[in-house]
Amino acid sequence: MTETRTAGGSRRLGSMGWAFLPIVVTAAFLAVLPPVWFGDSPYTTSLAVQALVFASYGVGFNLIFGSTNQLFLCVGALAGVGGYGAGILANESSLPMAAGVAVGTASAAIVGGLLSWIAVRRSLGIIFTGIVTLVFSLGFANLLLGQRDLTGSETGLIVDGVPAELADDSVGGYYLFAGLLVAFLIVFRALQLSHVGWAFRALRDDEVAAELAGVNVSRYRIYAATVGSAMIGLTGALLAYSAGFISPATYSFDRVDVRVLVMVAFGGLGTLLGPVIGAGVFAILDEQLTASLELREVLYGAFVITIFLFFRRGVVQAFVSFFDRFVRSGRRTQPNVQSSRE
Amino acid sequence: MKAVVLDGIVLGLAFGLLGVGMTLVYGLGGVINLAYGQIVIAAAIVASLVIERGESQAVAAGVGVLAAVGLSVLLDLTLMRPVYRQHGEERTLLGLLLTLGAAFVIGGLLAWRYPAGALYIYVGGDPISVIGVPMSVGSIWASAIALVVAAVLLVFFGATTFGRGVRSVIQDETGARLVGINPSFVRTVIFALSGALAGVVAIAQSMTGPLTVNAGFELTTFALIVTVVGGLGSVAGAFLAGVLLGVVNALSAHYIGQYITTIVLLGAAALTILIRPRGLLGR
Amino acid sequence: MLEVAGLAAGYLGERVIDGIDIEVRTGEAVVVFGSNGAGKTTLFRAIAGLLPRMAGRVVLDGKDLTRSPAHRISRTGIAYVPAERHLFPAMTVKSNLVLGAYPRRADRDTLALVYDLFPRLRERHRQHAGTLSGGEQQMLAVGRALMAKPRLLMLDEPTTGLAPKIAQAAFEALAGLKEGGMTLLIAEQQVPLALSVADRGYVLENGRIRLEGTSDQLAHNPEVRRAYLGVA
Repeated sequence: MTETRTAGGSRRLGSMGWAFLPIVVTAAFLAVLPPVWFGDSPYTTSLAVQALVFASYGVGFNLIFGSTNQLFLCVGALAGVGGYGAGILANESSLPMAAGVAVGTASAAIVGGLLSWIAVRRSLGIIFTGIVTLVFSLGFANLLLGQRDLTGSETGLIVDGVPAELADDSVGGYYLFAGLLVAFLIVFRALQLSHVGWAFRALRDDEVAAELAGVNVSRYRIYAATVGSAMIGLTGALLAYSAGFISPATYSFDRVDVRVLVMVAFGGLGTLLGPVIGAGVFAILDEQLTASLELREVLYGAFVITIFLFFRRGVVQAFVSFFDRFVRSGRRTQPNVQSSRE
Repeated sequence: MKAVVLDGIVLGLAFGLLGVGMTLVYGLGGVINLAYGQIVIAAAIVASLVIERGESQAVAAGVGVLAAVGLSVLLDLTLMRPVYRQHGEERTLLGLLLTLGAAFVIGGLLAWRYPAGALYIYVGGDPISVIGVPMSVGSIWASAIALVVAAVLLVFFGATTFGRGVRSVIQDETGARLVGINPSFVRTVIFALSGALAGVVAIAQSMTGPLTVNAGFELTTFALIVTVVGGLGSVAGAFLAGVLLGVVNALSAHYIGQYITTIVLLGAAALTILIRPRGLLGR
Repeated sequence: MLEVAGLAAGYLGERVIDGIDIEVRTGEAVVVFGSNGAGKTTLFRAIAGLLPRMAGRVVLDGKDLTRSPAHRISRTGIAYVPAERHLFPAMTVKSNLVLGAYPRRADRDTLALVYDLFPRLRERHRQHAGTLSGGEQQMLAVGRALMAKPRLLMLDEPTTGLAPKIAQAAFEALAGLKEGGMTLLIAEQQVPLALSVADRGYVLENGRIRLEGTSDQLAHNPEVRRAYLGVA
């Protein structure tokens, strides 16, 4: 009885469960990772935290670039806005960590939204948006270097008021960032399934058609940029507290942006788990290639070329299409059992 | 101040040629070659190897330029084919990613094999006075080479049939196909030409100071800034912007500081994008 | 001269035209009629090599052009003037014309001929093509096609956007060309004007040939009269 009455509801819940399954699996995987793999090594833990941080950056970047085609080459800078915002607040005032994180996140969100607003107002395409955000990146880095009193310049900033359990080489820190990543994935997925996600897909497919269909492309772009930037800023702020020490190098273009771009594109732009897979693979890659910095560069490059020549949409999409074809050829031999039951 | 400006012009001429190389490839196919700086470095390294083997500097220069051309043609025939099969923003994005990958591969290999690699072409002689400013012979040579190449380009694009054909592909690719021009062939030839320009810049720059193996990305950035300020696809614009930005670079580096100078140049690009997207001479 | 057999073409896997059989004999002027969306432009682009052919054959004087790309077709003697003209806007009128002869050097005599045909172009030979009026651009497009000394001249809706008097003049020029021995293949919506020049015609509807005949036959065909001439 109950089944018939709530048939529609339960089916919808069922399909939603299906949609969030990858997140649940990821969360489970992340939860069990430390005891299984890390042993008690703070070094391995810190590597994992690094990967989680980059994966989180990646989800934010995915939201901005993957969903609405805005090439924001300022991921590092946005994280830096969050990180330094929180760090400076922690040192200069007696406000608790939560306040610092909130301020950092909000600042990053505002900056990101502003950049997007500029890009939208001036109708900047991918290349120009990239260049303008790149200018912001370098300008911000320079700002950090210049404001010696506030930021400590190259020598960096020590962030006070950090609980030791959340340090970036401790298990506590690991679970903090794992939780953060899962939260981001949930938000990303929820957006994907909502009317916002539909609008994103429409405007990515054909901007003009989307406008005609009533999608306010500008507004959705700015919205995506703001939320994505908030994610990036939040990650950067938490990183500042967790690491206890930040410097311009922590958030530099070379260190952050290039890696995030390649990593997310590798995993699959616009896909849910793309950033996660990308971060994981590149973390492992980095470990294997500690030998030579230059060789690592060569392999990065070869990787990028191979991926984009053969798996244009990234690894995740390649798996999905392969899986799809596999499932479809299997399904063809089976009659549709479902309809007969209805 | 005069000295600074002249230095800026010398640098600017090289910038200009670099910008021309990049803007040509963009104008013809909508692709930004992020590996451009590395091609310059490759030419420099090859030339330095030839010099090490005892050959004359002139021979080394020639071989260096040829190496750059060869590398460019290789890139065009391998990576660019799938890029040109795409259209619009897909093509832009794929072009950026594949050339970025190529930049890492080329740059990484060169840095790994020749970590101390650098090219420095020493041209002997006393400084020559130009409008009251003593300039090193190397700088004079560098400028002269750049100017000669620029003149050749001017003749090529203005007066030769093929050159006009190239301009036509940039302005209307379908129209070019209708008059019998093969855009694909033109793109390959121009990619090779951009390689030659990269080689020339390597030689010219190395006459004013050592060109090291790590300078790749910086060169690409300069080329990109010049291209944007000059107007994407405009050859004359790129050259003009190059000279102007060279002077700006010199003035800024001298009076303010090196690090800020990069920001100033990037700022110029951003300003162009925000205020006058078609650049100085673009359409 | 030109034989099109069973030609099919379209976009994104969809066939817009199918089973097209057209013949153009040397010295003839053939017109393809059809309303918007009938497939005239698709057909012409397919013949000119701008669109891949999904089926069928295109043969010019015995030479199979079915697999040839546009730039090679242009060099074998077919000159195509599309409706959008595709001129080179930042180049002068003269440069546009000179490029028409690519890869050969522009023939001074041919250039003079084009200027004689379109004196307005001679007046504006230093002007940038992007700044010309619609009619002048059309003249330039035709002139550029003529510079290649083609055997077959294809024109897609040459009178689009032209004032009636200029459209008339355009067709008079085309008639003059035909008299000089040029073979013409024209797509047009303006039926009476086109019929005045044409020897034969085809009516294209929904991507297939509906009717064909001499200009006389078509002019007196009741369907044609009703659909295109507005005569009951």
